[in-house]
Amino acid sequence: MTRQEIEQEIKEIFRREFEIENPGLDDDLREKYEFDSIDAIELLLEIERMLGSELTQEEKKQAMDIRTINQICDYIERIIQARKTAA
Amino acid sequence: MERRVVITAASAITPIGHGKKQITESLLAGKSGIIPLREDALVSRFIHSRVYGTVNYPIEYDFKRAHRKTMGPVAYYACQAAKEALEQSGLTHDFITSGKLGVSFGSIHGSPTVQRDIYNIFFEAKDKTAYQSIGAVEYLKSMVHTTAVNITKMFGITGRVVSSGTACTTGSQAIGFGYEAIKYGLQEAMLCGAADEYDTTTVAVFDNLLACSTAFNNEPHRTPRPFDKLRDGLVVGEGAGALMLEEYEFAKKRGANIIAEVIGFACNNNGGDLILPNLAGITQTLRLGVENAKISPQEVDLVSAHATATKMGDIIEAQAIGAVFGEHPFVIGLKSYIGHTMAACGAIETIMTIYMMEDGFIAPTINLEEIDERCTMVKHVQKVLAQPVKTAAIQNFAFGGVNTILLIRKPD
Repeated sequence: MTRQEIEQEIKEIFRREFEIENPGLDDDLREKYEFDSIDAIELLLEIERMLGSELTQEEKKQAMDIRTINQICDYIERIIQARKTAA
Repeated sequence: MERRVVITAASAITPIGHGKKQITESLLAGKSGIIPLREDALVSRFIHSRVYGTVNYPIEYDFKRAHRKTMGPVAYYACQAAKEALEQSGLTHDFITSGKLGVSFGSIHGSPTVQRDIYNIFFEAKDKTAYQSIGAVEYLKSMVHTTAVNITKMFGITGRVVSSGTACTTGSQAIGFGYEAIKYGLQEAMLCGAADEYDTTTVAVFDNLLACSTAFNNEPHRTPRPFDKLRDGLVVGEGAGALMLEEYEFAKKRGANIIAEVIGFACNNNGGDLILPNLAGITQTLRLGVENAKISPQEVDLVSAHATATKMGDIIEAQAIGAVFGEHPFVIGLKSYIGHTMAACGAIETIMTIYMMEDGFIAPTINLEEIDERCTMVKHVQKVLAQPVKTAAIQNFAFGGVNTILLIRKPD
């Protein structure tokens, strides 16, 4: 997946699951949209569906500090890269 | 230090209407909120009792997703009633979030609808993805204090949280514990109440105990029948009630509209059987309540009885009322209109009593056509009375042998 595709997919998840329309790439999701730890866990489930593979407990913990859409895209790119390397 | 506690707002969602206007009109018209039991995919087809006190009208909710995501049906009811009570109270946002306002709110066991969804996932689980789909959200929707904390979250309330879960005394304890928190100087105000959602498993429990009404399945509006010779059990219902309690001087200073004063509360336990009504225990509750209110029993004009319309419960309650209050106060059973709204009954029945106090009338016990000769020791009400009420008692009793009484007074 390209960065642009990831970004589009994440924005679609935010629209569909969290009723957040077109968030800015560097908006603080917690501050601006009340995106909290409960949402973060739901987002991880969506990311697993998107990638078609399970995230490890360690990978999930790494996601807990994420605050922006850009950081989510960075995180997903790192996961995809890690999967490619492992394969 | 003992401080006076007043009620400055009240709102309810009930099977006979939402808010004061609809509820009062229904009480005056003798309208029943009991309709046929809805079919579900679980136990409804096995239940003998085919009636339910149903909130059978749409409610316009305006909750944003950040709040909705942790709310099951019971929390929707609770938050809506709480929102209306908060708005009615006129309390400022600064006060609401100051820590001086607490919440005392409960339900019998959170959201049974959500619990049912969780069980479905467990029982149909084929692999670990089912297990993984149980998240924090389901717990937050179904936990026993879900009503109280969804309210704190929605309105930014930072004071103490009390969440009674004592079945049918949940609502009356919520008010009683809120009253005590203010009376003894722990909070300036408490948002109190209770809620319960539509749930056929609750009906199944009472049905299996032979405590549900079954003889009027084809005429739902004719049951329950508190104190009536033909009563044959309770009818489960749903709804919510919320009240704002404030310290008297604080309320007076800010010019709040004081609609009633809470003058006493008592709660005890029968100390034995967890189901059967207990004359000694209930009689003691009523005595403790009068003592707590520092009034004489003769000052009570109206008793809103628990009156579930079970065979034994009504007789024992009538005996207890007769023993403590004598034949002086009018006695009514408000469950005849709405059924037994479980956790919410104490809150809803207190609110209905306040509405009657405000408007100077007493609603009769509907379906009370022929008084059971074993319940005749008290003054029943069988038609609407234009009657001022100064002091009223609201009684509730619960599985587990828990008994409560609240005493309220109309402001001068």
